[in-house]
Amino acid sequence: MATLRPVTLAKSRIVPVAEPWASLLPGGGLRRGSTVVVHAPPGLGGLSVALSLLSEASARGHWVAVVGVDDPGVVAMSDLGVDLRRVLFVPRPRGAWAEATADLLDGVDLVIVRPPSRASHVAARRLMDRVRERGTVVLALTEPRAPWPLPADLTLHLTGSRWTMSSRLDARYVTLRVGGRGEAARGGEHVVVVPDVRGRAVAR
Amino acid sequence: MERLLALWVEPLSEERADGSTLRDLLRLLDALEVLCPFVEVIRLGLCVLPLRGPSRFFGGDEAVLAAVRQSVRDVLDLDVTLGVAEGLFCAELAARQGTVLLAGQTTAFRRAQPLGVLGHRELATTGRRLGLYTVGDFADLDAARVAERFSAAVRVLHRVARGELGELPGQRDPRLATRLRSVRGEAVPSDEQVSFFGQRSAGDDRAQAAAHRVRHRLGPEAVFVARLHGGRVPEDRASLAPWGSPSRELRDDAPWPGRLGGPSPVTSLQQPVAVELRDESGEPVRVGVRGSLSAVPASLVLVRGSRRGVIWHAGPWPLVERWWSTPRRRAHLQVLLDGGEAMLLSIEAGRWWLVGIYD
Repeated sequence: MATLRPVTLAKSRIVPVAEPWASLLPGGGLRRGSTVVVHAPPGLGGLSVALSLLSEASARGHWVAVVGVDDPGVVAMSDLGVDLRRVLFVPRPRGAWAEATADLLDGVDLVIVRPPSRASHVAARRLMDRVRERGTVVLALTEPRAPWPLPADLTLHLTGSRWTMSSRLDARYVTLRVGGRGEAARGGEHVVVVPDVRGRAVAR
Repeated sequence: MERLLALWVEPLSEERADGSTLRDLLRLLDALEVLCPFVEVIRLGLCVLPLRGPSRFFGGDEAVLAAVRQSVRDVLDLDVTLGVAEGLFCAELAARQGTVLLAGQTTAFRRAQPLGVLGHRELATTGRRLGLYTVGDFADLDAARVAERFSAAVRVLHRVARGELGELPGQRDPRLATRLRSVRGEAVPSDEQVSFFGQRSAGDDRAQAAAHRVRHRLGPEAVFVARLHGGRVPEDRASLAPWGSPSRELRDDAPWPGRLGGPSPVTSLQQPVAVELRDESGEPVRVGVRGSLSAVPASLVLVRGSRRGVIWHAGPWPLVERWWSTPRRRAHLQVLLDGGEAMLLSIEAGRWWLVGIYD
């Protein structure tokens, strides 16, 4: 028997992302209640990818937070299109990164967290439950030495990274393998330019 | 290459302290967008638009030029010179000289320009010694000879001189668009602005409550917000301030952001880390008085002896600023490591510092 439920627009179940992500991610955005993992070797573009996933949400009036990124390049974030007026930073949460992230998930729509050490099963499970309950999104930025301990709804695995140069660094082409559950499981490999010469994320 | 109409507005090429330059530029843009939706601000004082579409619409180049002149007069009481040429490099030169080139005349125009217009002092000096006085003289040099004698930067200029590239590196101010957007946000309050500065939305309240909880958990210096301010290199232009400290207004009214073009590092170290940059024989690399490197960097020594190969570098870009009354001299260098990581280094008083990571 069909249950009666309030009509929700598909859009409101999604935290919006800008291009090139919108046409590349299943559902065109970050599904509320989901856990996203950006997995990348350090220094090759993982942070740029994660921060550029914030831009559209912040620009459309959503509050976002960045936990465990100790020296965020604020100019670069602004170039990526992030509206810095709605970003809370918790740069050095030390041992309390999971608690700080959970606190923030009560008040903002999207939290990027770079755990300073390997996340335990318990901590990961608690955060994943929290986003499901709150209808928010957590995006964990992880490295090969400390992967996310549980399967995520959406994973962006950085498998390649290449700079183009002229008289300076111009642009970086990163290769990402998309995976996860549901629609995301169909996967696929994509190349995104981040940053381009103006500091933005664009399709190749 | 596309024919471009460039507008050079000399009075808007230097930023005035009261912020009126960007506001004037916005008014100009709005007026021009009525004529052509593809108008672009390249730098302070310089806008361009593709001529083909408007020309067809208005019935000829002359009609477009007249319409543009009229709309500039309508919004700003300022002198503007117009130029038409193919490619951004020549379009700017044409605008500064008030020259309208017909299709096919750009090559001759470009070749006749003095070598100095390429904006590279070393090239102009060396060129004079070699008997190269014009862009055309330089363009006629064989690309292989240019490659053996000059740096990568000059090789790019050689392609511009030959008409293979339409614009000079650094001709655009990459941050101007963002700055204009933020000025527009301040001048024309949108709904979200009202909710931020005036009545707060429910979302604002929830976020503030969450920030409170984190601060309660971790201490007063746990939650930060971003501030942008004046400065010419990324590590000077932004900082984090504890959340709740006074004046959270975000403003980017820096003067002309300086020479360091291209993307900014996404990790910008608030406390730079001392590093060593060495050449192939393990000797420290220095920056000479004339701003060039003493040797080609081959390795970067990070903390506690971790040593990485340097496979490419760009710069150094020297920077001399007055810091109170003592001039502060720095130079910046981009390096690409053998693992594919890119970093921004700075040298000051003979010491190298890691200031940014393009993570």
